[in-house]
Amino acid sequence: MQRRSLLKGLMMGGLGGVLHVTSPSLARALAADIGCSASIANTCFDESQRKMCAVLAELIIPTTDTPGAIEAGVPAFVEMMVSDWYTPAEREIFLEGMSALDRDCFDRYSNAFLELGEEQQIKALSHQEDLAATYQPPKDDTSFLIPKEDEHAPFFDKLKELVVIGYYHSEVGAKQELIYNPMPMEYREIPFVEVGRQWSS
Amino acid sequence: MSEASDFDAIVVGSGMSGGWAAKELCEAGLKVLVLERGSMVRHGKDYTTEHIPPWEIPLAGKKPRELYKKDYPVQSKVWAFNETTRHFFNNDRENPYVRDEEKPFNWHRANVVGGRSLLWSRQVYRFSDLDFEANKRDGHGADWPIRYSDIDPWYSYVESFIGVSGQKEGLPHLPDGEFQKPMPLSVIEREVKAAIEHEYPDRHLTIGRCAVQTEAKNGRGSCHYCGPCERGCSVAAVFSSVGVTLPAAERTGNMTLLADSVVEGLDYNEKTGKVNAVRVIDANSHARKRYTAKLIFLCASTVATTQILLNSKSEAFPNGLANSSGVLGHYLMDHAKGGGAVGMMPGHLDSYIFGHRPNGIYIPRFRNLQAEGGKEPGVDFLRGYGYQGKAMRLGWQHMHKQTRGFGKDFKHALRRPGPWMMFMGAFAEHLPDKNNRMFLDANEKDRFGIPQVCFDASYGENESRLQDDAEKQATNMLRVAGAVSIKSFNVKSTPGSSIHEMGTARMGKNPAKSVLNQWNRAHDVSNLFVTDGACMTSSSCVNPSLTYMALTARAVNYAVDLFKTGAL
Repeated sequence: MQRRSLLKGLMMGGLGGVLHVTSPSLARALAADIGCSASIANTCFDESQRKMCAVLAELIIPTTDTPGAIEAGVPAFVEMMVSDWYTPAEREIFLEGMSALDRDCFDRYSNAFLELGEEQQIKALSHQEDLAATYQPPKDDTSFLIPKEDEHAPFFDKLKELVVIGYYHSEVGAKQELIYNPMPMEYREIPFVEVGRQWSS
Repeated sequence: MSEASDFDAIVVGSGMSGGWAAKELCEAGLKVLVLERGSMVRHGKDYTTEHIPPWEIPLAGKKPRELYKKDYPVQSKVWAFNETTRHFFNNDRENPYVRDEEKPFNWHRANVVGGRSLLWSRQVYRFSDLDFEANKRDGHGADWPIRYSDIDPWYSYVESFIGVSGQKEGLPHLPDGEFQKPMPLSVIEREVKAAIEHEYPDRHLTIGRCAVQTEAKNGRGSCHYCGPCERGCSVAAVFSSVGVTLPAAERTGNMTLLADSVVEGLDYNEKTGKVNAVRVIDANSHARKRYTAKLIFLCASTVATTQILLNSKSEAFPNGLANSSGVLGHYLMDHAKGGGAVGMMPGHLDSYIFGHRPNGIYIPRFRNLQAEGGKEPGVDFLRGYGYQGKAMRLGWQHMHKQTRGFGKDFKHALRRPGPWMMFMGAFAEHLPDKNNRMFLDANEKDRFGIPQVCFDASYGENESRLQDDAEKQATNMLRVAGAVSIKSFNVKSTPGSSIHEMGTARMGKNPAKSVLNQWNRAHDVSNLFVTDGACMTSSSCVNPSLTYMALTARAVNYAVDLFKTGAL
């Protein structure tokens, strides 16, 4: 917890910008930190999957001039959703996706995903995105009206969706990355530059 | 005749109509018992999710699917149903009806004091004589026993009290009301309006007329534009019975409100020709009680009210109370929705919106306005439809799926909202048809031993043509407005899904063909009034709640006169 507070303090203090915040060392440190604090009942993640999930979340929404996915608590959210909320079929796709990613890393770089540098991790994840792009979702003319869950969506899409909704629903994502105003008191048109970010809700 | 009653009047139901019946009866000095099958919701105190921040929303807004499948398979289809509102809704497993999967009907219900007045979309439009004369004009359904002039002052009375914001347009088929200042149209909506009205002089686009105050009036606040009204509005800017009419009734000291009180049926006294008691089952203990009163108002909602009447059998009324006509349960209607279009509106990326407007745009009916016999030349359907819609900038919720990649660029791209999207979807009038009906199952009972409701209802050829036209015209209008990537839709929706179910105890002039007279009084039972959606003789294409409220206030005024002159 001390380490987490330290990292949090560094970033809150604006030092994040001068550190190489997306360097593998820090991402790994952040991931390790998250790993210690995860407490999901009936989790389906082992320690290595937990760390992998944290690194993946941070790759999708990294720390920039605002906190990234780890700081926002996204890895624990993803772990909870995969463990508790997913159907068995979805869970299998997700866990198998992590294994496939790891196998792909061995094939390409002769090393596990977690042991790679950030550049190689990004390449490996991009490959997953390319694979996901070939997926044909079931045809549904009404899905733009009523969003439906696609149980069979591929690993990358599942991962990205959980990271994104977890991040922008988090207090960090809603208030620091985007803007949040629970009590606008009026409705009016504004130039976008007046706020500079989109509303979180 | 000197038998002492427990109350002067009993109102069954505490929602949109029941709240008004309670308020008006109590203010007239009657001692009133309000019975609500759902649990208690106290204004403000029980809005447990009001202003809940995103990070406290369970599952980041994802649905607990197992739970919904098990306990809320029907209610979870409602737009307003989610983890922040679930506590207001009916549990489908605990309170089931017979759902024919081959020919389904969605019965959407709340299960709390306030009913669906806590969960509605707040759109309020007046019926016009185009609606009240429709059945007579084309021969579908019975003629309404009232005309616009009969209800006009009651619309005004209700609008002034509930607080309606809107823009006067001077259209005879969408009469203006007592409006607080309208909410503004957005830049895109103004563009679409200008384009439509230029291309089609007989079509109009106006800001939605909604029961959300834009001015602090009636002892209530004005909208603070926080967004999800259905979580509760403790300043009561939005109208609900819990926030507005029930407190007014409460202030008189004349109201007794009992939650968890399921009405099983009404007792009819053959000697007096009146209902003399309401039979109630405690939802928790299942204990039975009986309350007597001189005057009964059924405001339990279209389906629940008719269920109570059908379940109130006697020698005089073997097929259900007040059903000498045999039409009780028949002529069930619900607006056909699912025709419309959506398109992307280029430009205006430097414009953004501050605040959440709990309201959209309205495009009033423009078909068959002048038609003799009901059909204009070149139109292959009767009656019409109106659109509700909205322009919005697509948020991260939509854009993350359309933004490829990940990492810093992805994150920073989502800082800006997506492009503007314009949506319009129609509610089409549902012709009254005797074949569309609800009835009680002979065998299936609920946990209180009350026979479950069955439905046999569908949309017909006319609704299908209305929807086809709504799809086509929405596409045309978006095109003239300059939309791109237009996607039209024409979804065959399940009856009930518009949550505008109406009819089953219709008003009419002829007691042999209708259940209620022009005052919402049962032809057969002189102290029984039905003023919720069950009373509707036709459906118009506008949202019906305002009409229920106006008819309720009007009926109470009539009933109170009878009561005070001793005619009851």
